[in-house]
Amino acid sequence: MRRRNLTAYGFLSPYLLIFAAFWLWPIIYSFYLSFLSTRRAPWTFNPSMTWLRITQDTAFYNALWNTLKILAIQVPAMVFLATVLAVLLNSQLLRARGLIRFAFFAPVVIGEAAYAAVFRLMFNTDFGIVNKTLQAIGLSKVDWFANPSAAMSLIIMAVTWRWVGYNAIIILSGLQSIQTDVYEAATLERVSPRQQFFHITLPLLRPVLVFCFVLSVIGSMQLFAEPYLITNMGGPGGATETLGLFLYRQGFLNLNFGYASAIAYTIAALAVAISALNMWIGRDRT
Amino acid sequence: MRSKSKTMLFRSLALHSVLVPLALLWLLPLWMMFVFATMSDNAIFSPDIHLIPSTQFGENFAKLQGDIDFVRTLIVSVVVAVIYTFFSVALTSMAGWALARYKFLGRGLVVAIILGTMTLPYFVVVIPQFIMVARDFGLSNTWFALIVPPLFNSLGVLFMRQAFSLMPVDLFDAARVEGVSEWKIFIHIALPLSRPMLAALSIILFLHSWNNYLWPLLISNDRSMMTAPVALGSLFGLIDVSWGGVMVGAVLLTVPMLVVFVFLQRFFMAGITAGAVK
Amino acid sequence: MASVSINQVTKQFGAVSVIRGANLHVEDGELVVFVGPSGCGKSTLLRMIAGLEDISSGDIHIGDTMVNDIEPGDRGVAMVFQSYALYPHMSVQQNMSFGLRMNGNEKADTERRVQTAAKVLQLKPLLARLPKQLSGGQRQRVAIGRAIVREPQVFLFDEPLSNLDAELRVQMRVEIARLHKELQATMIYVTHDQTEAMTLADRIVVLRDGLIEQVGSPLELYHNPANAFVAGFIGSPRINFFTGVATEYAEGHQLVQLSGRGSAVAKVATTEALPSGTLIKVGVRPEHFEIGGACGFPIKVDVVEQLGSVSYLYADTTSEYPLIVARQDDGDHRSDELTISIRAGKALLFGADGNRLR
Ligand SMILES: Nc1ncnc2c1ncn2[C@@H]1O[C@H](COP(=O)(O)OP(=O)(O)O)[C@@H](O)[C@H]1O
Ligand SMILES: [Mg+2]
Repeated sequence: MRRRNLTAYGFLSPYLLIFAAFWLWPIIYSFYLSFLSTRRAPWTFNPSMTWLRITQDTAFYNALWNTLKILAIQVPAMVFLATVLAVLLNSQLLRARGLIRFAFFAPVVIGEAAYAAVFRLMFNTDFGIVNKTLQAIGLSKVDWFANPSAAMSLIIMAVTWRWVGYNAIIILSGLQSIQTDVYEAATLERVSPRQQFFHITLPLLRPVLVFCFVLSVIGSMQLFAEPYLITNMGGPGGATETLGLFLYRQGFLNLNFGYASAIAYTIAALAVAISALNMWIGRDRT
Repeated sequence: MRSKSKTMLFRSLALHSVLVPLALLWLLPLWMMFVFATMSDNAIFSPDIHLIPSTQFGENFAKLQGDIDFVRTLIVSVVVAVIYTFFSVALTSMAGWALARYKFLGRGLVVAIILGTMTLPYFVVVIPQFIMVARDFGLSNTWFALIVPPLFNSLGVLFMRQAFSLMPVDLFDAARVEGVSEWKIFIHIALPLSRPMLAALSIILFLHSWNNYLWPLLISNDRSMMTAPVALGSLFGLIDVSWGGVMVGAVLLTVPMLVVFVFLQRFFMAGITAGAVK
Repeated sequence: MASVSINQVTKQFGAVSVIRGANLHVEDGELVVFVGPSGCGKSTLLRMIAGLEDISSGDIHIGDTMVNDIEPGDRGVAMVFQSYALYPHMSVQQNMSFGLRMNGNEKADTERRVQTAAKVLQLKPLLARLPKQLSGGQRQRVAIGRAIVREPQVFLFDEPLSNLDAELRVQMRVEIARLHKELQATMIYVTHDQTEAMTLADRIVVLRDGLIEQVGSPLELYHNPANAFVAGFIGSPRINFFTGVATEYAEGHQLVQLSGRGSAVAKVATTEALPSGTLIKVGVRPEHFEIGGACGFPIKVDVVEQLGSVSYLYADTTSEYPLIVARQDDGDHRSDELTISIRAGKALLFGADGNRLR
């Protein structure tokens, strides 16, 4: 038995080493870094260049505001859409199930570079299929890359296209784990399908929905590749600059690691706070 | 009494009149990716609407290959994803096994740390990772830099821990009584029995690595060690770039994953929903 | 083959004492059955012998070797589990040979042992099948085969028949008894089913709440239980208990006045007199009543079980333990009102603490 104790450490330690070196230690180290002025060597302890600066930096507030805007619009819209999709996809009446599932789930496997390229072309101001269609039905074309709100909606649409299927898969598996006899019993008691949805399905799905919300919040807080690739590094003029992009700029273009670490911890704190708020709102009140 | 079959028909019509157009809309970007990949740049940037594939795929590929050696970047991506997946599955399933099947000092702590930190944004670690790998070790543009740091991912640990802890303990006790070593029990019983889980995990990890963008962007800027998504993205800002070629790159990045998705959908779904296991 | 001895063994799970000081010696070649209600610690004791659970204190010897610190695989034991614990991804053949293969046993020898075991257990036609393609009884035979292949010093069985239906259980019981005879092996067998214990065991160990209540041959336990618990646990249908008060003592027999049964008196052989007025418990097995008799009491039969060779009459069926009386005739006694009495010298006496008064 005692030998087995050692065996356990044997199984665990290879992973634990990697985990410690490339996850645990960096978490601690970047916290430390967030107090250092790293503009020039040698790095010195100077929180005013990081934590104080972050409270005064208008570029930071712009990125924060953009991120919160995306989060407030995109996350609820997407989880709502994903729930509707999951319920519809779960219907017994659905024909061509495979094809329809493919349509929504396929974007889940597509990389950011690939879909960013397609969206850039589809939304191209002069030659994109979206504007051509808008004009064909008599609307005026939209300058997706020069108009700040249009650029923002473009990012939101792209992210929703990419992730709604992912959330629908999770919600669908939640739906399928609900015993069908619950519904059979309800039907026999003349409970209408709509009442079944609101009084049986939704309450039973609540933990799954909270999970989707939390996942999407964390994802949105880290949005980087879409504004980097689709709207040319947060354009126009910073209108789609997210916190992730702002951090990238500070950390890896300006090589200001201390300030970037402070931004990273701010993102982490916000993600944790908003997730906690989500869980509190979605908590079990019974 | 309403007629049952009539209500059903009505509901079915309503369902499909919502879902079918929405599905087509969702398929459009994918479809357009293929269409663009077969069109000349002149046709892409022309005032007409093209929805039907054309014939320029080969020419576009040649242009892409000329802009950046895309085949080479694909090879880098494949090698990185395969090795990463192998090691991540190996390391995390061993760790998951230890956490599921042994009681040892510090087990609770390890689980608590993994669970407690797994939802932290990647940004919190990426700066020190970069400082360590690129600056301290000077390992930019190496296989090590592309493969090893992302192995921290704890998804497999939790996934495999769950899988192993659902297996009946008698099975392992039976082998113990037969004098089979713990390592052989892991290799010959635990792993073969978790084959579907291993498949699901491998697919998800492969996809992670294949589509990984930020870390390779930071750590691999040399043409010879660039991964395909980073190479493709590096073309976006350039003035004189063939967008038909870029689309060919997007297709080449996407199609293998779509094939995997279509044929191994079951494992895929399992891998995604496994993220939802508490 | 080897003997097994257990000295002052205890087991705690955290603060809970599951085995509270067990002493036992199992002879070489003996088949010993641990029996007791579910949760009394049978499996725990067996798993300590196997090495699957640590021993909190005390020691266990297999043969001449103290095995406390020896790994399960090195103890020379083989174990058959209630769940069979067959490796689902291996064929019958692979299941049986797995342990030997993993330990580098010579190929030809492994093959010979598997073939022998398969022959003994009539598994030959099934060797290529997977466990899921077998019936419950076949799976159990494979599990036993896997144990035989090891040629162990000691066989351990943990409720191996509990997952089988009644008919198969009887069949497998006979098969295990035959195996024991053929292999002349030391076997320790755990069950909660006293019938299984009675039919299989050379000696039975009765456990309750982590303590060994009594060790003895099946008939010893049946006729001479050490306490009311053993008397109640062994024997089917169950023994009947009455409360009573000691009265006279004469000619080596204690007379007991049964409470609530009119003037009924039991006459029990004991070595010494009890103080008159002592409250005691009287145990009477169903076959130890007779119809009529001078010191009897009336009963009303509610239910009759006619098994052919014997009939059981049930009275007082609304109480927790109905009164059960065995009769050797085929008559239909339903709704009969009878007078029954206890055969002289056949009842068992227990003190207020449950211990036997002899
Ligand atoms: N690993 C364990 N941790 C804590 N308690 C246990 C453990 N295993 C068994 N027990 C407890 O020990 C007692 C005896 O269990 P067991 O030996 O399995 O009983 P039996 O086999 O006689 O039914 C039970 O009360 C059970 O709950
Ligand atoms: Mg048990």
